[in-house]
Amino acid sequence: MIKDKVKTGVPGLDEMLDGGLIPGRVYAVSGTSGTGKTTLAMQFLLEGVKSGERVLYIALDEPPNEVRLNMKSYGWDVGRVQVFDATPDVMSYDRTPVRDVSTERKVVYFRDLPDTVRLTSEKSPADMTVNTIQELVRQEMKVRKYSRIVVDSLTSLRFFYIRTSEENASLISFLRLLSDIGVTSLLTVHLPEVSRPDVEIHMARGEIRLHKWYDGRGLIRGITVEKYRGSSHDHRLRMIKITSTGVVVKSPPAEKKTRTADDQHGAEDRVPDSEELPPPPDDVVQEPVHQPPPDRQDQIPPAPPGAGQNGTEGGT
Amino acid sequence: MRDLLTDRISTGIPGLDAMLGGGLIAGRPYVVSGTTGAGKTMLGIQFLHQGVKQGERALLVAVDEPPSEIRENVRALGWDVGKIRILDVHPASKAFNKRVSLVEVAAQRSVGALREMGAGARDEAMKQVMPDISIQSLQLMLKQELQETSYSRVVVDSLTSLKKLSENQEDKASGIMSLLRFIAETGVTALIVTDLPDPTELEPELFLCRGEIRLHKRMVSSRLDRWVTVEKLRGSAHDTMPRPMTISEVGLTVDPDRKIPKNSMRVLQAFTQFAR
Repeated sequence: MIKDKVKTGVPGLDEMLDGGLIPGRVYAVSGTSGTGKTTLAMQFLLEGVKSGERVLYIALDEPPNEVRLNMKSYGWDVGRVQVFDATPDVMSYDRTPVRDVSTERKVVYFRDLPDTVRLTSEKSPADMTVNTIQELVRQEMKVRKYSRIVVDSLTSLRFFYIRTSEENASLISFLRLLSDIGVTSLLTVHLPEVSRPDVEIHMARGEIRLHKWYDGRGLIRGITVEKYRGSSHDHRLRMIKITSTGVVVKSPPAEKKTRTADDQHGAEDRVPDSEELPPPPDDVVQEPVHQPPPDRQDQIPPAPPGAGQNGTEGGT
Repeated sequence: MRDLLTDRISTGIPGLDAMLGGGLIAGRPYVVSGTTGAGKTMLGIQFLHQGVKQGERALLVAVDEPPSEIRENVRALGWDVGKIRILDVHPASKAFNKRVSLVEVAAQRSVGALREMGAGARDEAMKQVMPDISIQSLQLMLKQELQETSYSRVVVDSLTSLKKLSENQEDKASGIMSLLRFIAETGVTALIVTDLPDPTELEPELFLCRGEIRLHKRMVSSRLDRWVTVEKLRGSAHDTMPRPMTISEVGLTVDPDRKIPKNSMRVLQAFTQFAR
C-alpha cells in the first residue's frame, strides 16, 4: 500500500501522509499568503521529474518566467517541468473581439521560456476561461501522459476565469476531469487570514494546509493534513521551515525539546484543535475564531471582538 | 543580463532593504498595507524619492490626496520631491482644473479632451468619464502615461480608494488582476498602497502581488508602537521577524537588528492566534 503512494518531495510530509499521496486524485494545498504553497507544489513536481515522470505546471497567478526565477533562489532547476502559461491578459476595456486562446498557447518546458513576461497582444487580448483550460488539459493528456499536475492557483481560477454563473459548474467539471484522467494533482488555494470553509476544498480528496503565526519570539510556520480520504494520516500540527532548499517538515519530538516555555503556546493551542476534531470531512469546516485557552488569559488579553478587522483597536 | 535575484531595487527606507534580503526584485508589483496613519504614503514617497536620487523616473498615482497636499506634507520633511511626477486621479481633479507646481501629468487630459467635443458628444462623454475613476480607468491612464514616459518606479496611492470608487463589484477582481498584469508587463517596479485587509476577505491584490510589506501601528500599554513585517516576498529569503519602525523628520526608518517590545509582540501573537 505505502509503496504505491506518490511521494510529495517534501521531507517529512510523506511521513505525515502515511507514505505519500494516493495516486490519481486531486489534493489541495491551502494557506494564507507567504506560507509556501507554490514552493511546496514545485517540490511535488520536481520529485516527479527526479523519477522520470512527466509533470505539468499550470500558471495562473504569476507569469511563469517569474516562477522560474523565484525557484532559482532555492537552487532548483525547473527546466524539465512543463508549463502552461494560463496567466490572463491585460484587459483592453474596449469592444474588440477576443480570441479563443486554446489554439495559440502551447505547453512548453520551463527551460524554453523567454526571460521576459509574455506581452498582451495589442490587437486582440486573449480570453481564457475554465473551459479553455479544461480543454487544454484534456488535449495535453492525449499527447503526453502526465503523472503530476499543479494548478497554481485554484483561487485565481475561481476569481478570474469564471464570468457567468454557468461556469461555476465548469469548475467542478474541471476538478472532475483531473481525477478522471488519473493524474495526481495539487491545487493551491489562497486563504484569507481568518479562514472560512472553501467550496473547492470540499471537492479535493485531501487538504494540506500551511500556517504561519507569531508566538512570543517570532514567526512560526506549521503544516497540517486537514483531511485525507482513504488513508490514515498525522492529525497533529507539525512545524515547518522554509529553508534555502525548500519546505522541510520538522520531526515532532526533537521540536518539543528545543522549544522554550514562551515558544510552546503557539504549538499547544493548535494541537488540541486537530485532535479533538474527528477525521474528515468535517474538520475542514473550522470555526473561524479560536479562543486562547483559559490558562493563558492572564498573560495575553483575548483578542477583542472584531480585533484586526480594521486593526485600529488599541491594546490595554 | 543582470541577475534580477541578486540585483535588488532599494526601497529608500533605511533598514527595510535588509529585511527584504537586499531590496525588491525589479519589475514586479508589491503591496504596502497598513492602517490609517501607519506611514504607507510616506513609504511610497520615500521609494520614489530613492529612484529620483538615482536618476530614475518615478511616478506617483495620487487617488487619496490631491497632489498639492502631498507636496505640502512631504515638504515638511525637507525632501526635494519636485522630480517625482504625479498622475492626479483624485476625484476632485475632474471637477476643477488647477495647476500645482509639482509636475502634474494627465490630470487635464480627459478634461481637455472633453472641451474639444461637441455638446452632444460631450454629455455622452461626461457620463462615461465622470463616474469612471476606477481601476479600469487608472489602467488606461497609466498606459497612456507609460507610453509617453518610461518610468522605473510607480506608486499607486491607494488601491483601497480606487476599489471604493469602482462601482461594479464583479469587475473589481478582474480589474485588479488586469492592473497588476499590466504593471508586470510594463516592467516597472510598483508599490500598491492598500488599507489593512479585512482578514475574512480574500483580496485579489494580496494573492496576486509578488510581495507584501505591512506597516503596523498600535497602542500598546498606552504607548504608540510602530513596526513593520514582510508578509511575503516571492523569489527571496526575507526577515520574518517584526521590526521596529519610527517616523521622524527624516521619514521612515526601520531597525532590522532590533526586536519589537515584548508587549507589542504579545499583541501580534494574540492577533494571529485569533486569525488562525
